[in-house]
Amino acid sequence: MIKFEEKATQDLFDRKLITENQYQEITTYRSLNIFSLNTELKLLLSLSVLMFTSGIGILIYDNIDSIGHIALLAILLVLICGCFYYCFKNSKGFQKTETTSESPFLEYIVLIANVLTCIFIGYLQFQYEVFGTHYGLATLIPTLVSFICAYYFDNKSVLTIAVTGLAAYVGLSVTPQDIFNDNNHFYYDQSLSFSAIMLGVLLILWTIYSFRINLKTHFAFIYLTFALHIISVASIANLPHHDWTWLLFAAFLAGSSYYFYKISHEQKAISIYVFMIIYAYIGFNIFLFRIFENVDFSDLWELFIFLLPAYFIGSIVMFIKLIKKFNKEIA
Amino acid sequence: MILHDKNLLNNLALIEEADSLENAGFISKEQKKIIKKEVPAFKSQNNILVRLGFFLLGSFLYLSICGVISLLGLTGGGSERYFFNICFYLFAVVGIIGAEILMNNKYYRHGLDDAFVLGILLNIGIGVFVLTEYYFRQYYYLDYYNSVQNDYTAILTAFFVAIASFLTYRRYLHLLSLLVFCLASSAVIFFGMYQLGDIGKSILPFVVMLASAGFYFFTKNRIKNLTKVYYYNGLLLVNSFCLILFYLSCNYLVVRELSSELLGTDVLLGQDIPFAFFFYAFTFIVPAVYLFQAIKTKDRIMLWISFAAIAFTIFTIRFYYSVLAIEGALTIGGIILFAIAYFSIQKLKNKETGLTFKPDRINNSNAILNAQTLIVASTFGLKPEVKTDSPMDFGGGGFSGGGSGGTF
Repeated sequence: MIKFEEKATQDLFDRKLITENQYQEITTYRSLNIFSLNTELKLLLSLSVLMFTSGIGILIYDNIDSIGHIALLAILLVLICGCFYYCFKNSKGFQKTETTSESPFLEYIVLIANVLTCIFIGYLQFQYEVFGTHYGLATLIPTLVSFICAYYFDNKSVLTIAVTGLAAYVGLSVTPQDIFNDNNHFYYDQSLSFSAIMLGVLLILWTIYSFRINLKTHFAFIYLTFALHIISVASIANLPHHDWTWLLFAAFLAGSSYYFYKISHEQKAISIYVFMIIYAYIGFNIFLFRIFENVDFSDLWELFIFLLPAYFIGSIVMFIKLIKKFNKEIA
Repeated sequence: MILHDKNLLNNLALIEEADSLENAGFISKEQKKIIKKEVPAFKSQNNILVRLGFFLLGSFLYLSICGVISLLGLTGGGSERYFFNICFYLFAVVGIIGAEILMNNKYYRHGLDDAFVLGILLNIGIGVFVLTEYYFRQYYYLDYYNSVQNDYTAILTAFFVAIASFLTYRRYLHLLSLLVFCLASSAVIFFGMYQLGDIGKSILPFVVMLASAGFYFFTKNRIKNLTKVYYYNGLLLVNSFCLILFYLSCNYLVVRELSSELLGTDVLLGQDIPFAFFFYAFTFIVPAVYLFQAIKTKDRIMLWISFAAIAFTIFTIRFYYSVLAIEGALTIGGIILFAIAYFSIQKLKNKETGLTFKPDRINNSNAILNAQTLIVASTFGLKPEVKTDSPMDFGGGGFSGGGSGGTF
């Protein structure tokens, strides 16, 4: 492949599309013959964190009655203290902007420390019921710890844990595999849908406030992604309702689509833009279906099938235009 | 044979190069814009999400056109059986027309073209399947479940799909069709050996191994002497596919499970499959060879394949021998992995050339690192508590992490 890349650079140079200086710079860089294992080793690290914490979690779950509680708690505590000691020693402390750490391990040690803390608190509650029957607290405290860790050490992975914890406190399951399988049963639980939308709005408000005080603005993407998916899934799940509320949810969806249309341009985030379009399209189709539901089509359904290709061609043309417009505007 | 304009195909390489140079910071954004303006190009989508979206829309369009054709075809009285036999070929023709129109309008790697080209292959596959099955039932009076007939159907389907996918690759340079071609031709070898009876079934692993090794060196040689840049990705795909197939062909787990499936021999206690020693050795040695070769030749794809192969080797061992309980294996495995990563990073940290830990300016794979956050969210995400009176179900599930099913 190197051969072709070099040829492409040569071609660009021959066509006078890059300057001689740039060409020289590129060829010198290529001659270093760099083979970077950065991504691979980092992925290996996160895999090891995943395996280690899962192993510890299962170990504790299985042996909750056999090994002495105090011993288990003590080991966990020692591990947590060790991890946090490393983190505090190697981090630059709290900063309002994005920070980069010298040590590539810091990010992963923070993650371990955070997950172990969650396990620790869960264990305390399970065995000693330190929060009594306030089960909400047992979710809220790990969430708080995660938020503090995420903001102090500037860690996006921990932030996602914190946001899922916040949603769990409200009663939602927003891990990627759950929100799309509708494990929350939005359709049967309207109050949950309303709280989901409230949570989404709260997350959005928080990003607006963060921008105003310039606090970790690079976290906005994560908050917005969560907000987009939570609001849209909750609204779409409620569109088939038979009472008037479906119109309310349609309005929510329309409003959120408009907001995310704007914000995706500001953030230059194509993933938010694309998902916004997809949700809006699904919602629009359900809306059309609901409108035509009351009309008797029994004689016209063949015509309907003949019209479908035209409808899809129209949608494709519209999508191509939308994507083109977005690419032009963020460029 | 290629439908596309050769100049545009060559330009594709230029634009990709400009993209990666801009990412690496060698050229400015304005410069890239100028390059994009100067060099005529295909209408393609580089963002995988957008491409997937267009693929879905294209499939909807394809399906709706097929729906219209079915509606027209099924209106005549009593011709349903006949229509059913040929309708998939009609659908394939729709796919061909669609693909030709799109490609003539310079849609390439756009998502829409993927939908139509894959549609052609799918419909040809179903069409051949339906027709052979009908033919056998009509003329040989065999039962529906007769195994001979099923084998012929499978091999014929795979054969025609292989031919069709090779043709679509040659005409449209469509990479996914080449992947279909690889899978279909492996299926042809597989079913072909299956037809040869017990001998064929017993030498199947060795035949596949030799075939994949042969094609591996063939494609490698072709890549070396390649002058046309637009064939590179296709050859690379076949090359990597051969690597994977080579490892899987003589992997102990695959061989043992297939032999009990095909030959009906169950491995009794204290016995093992024939040549077990060879298969065990193969399972262990090949991933290691891949890993060393990948680092030696700086081949990133082979490196990833070697990781996957190592993981599958561990899975193979754990499938037959429970070396450790799952929690112990996970904890210790995690520690070992961390240690490996730690020492590798320490060793490579300060190197400036060759093998290094410094991110490569040109070929960086940051997209994969972004996926990390998603993985963390799906494994460690907290779940709402189950609202019951029993203190046993206090929930807060995800604490225990992956695999525990979130009922801590």
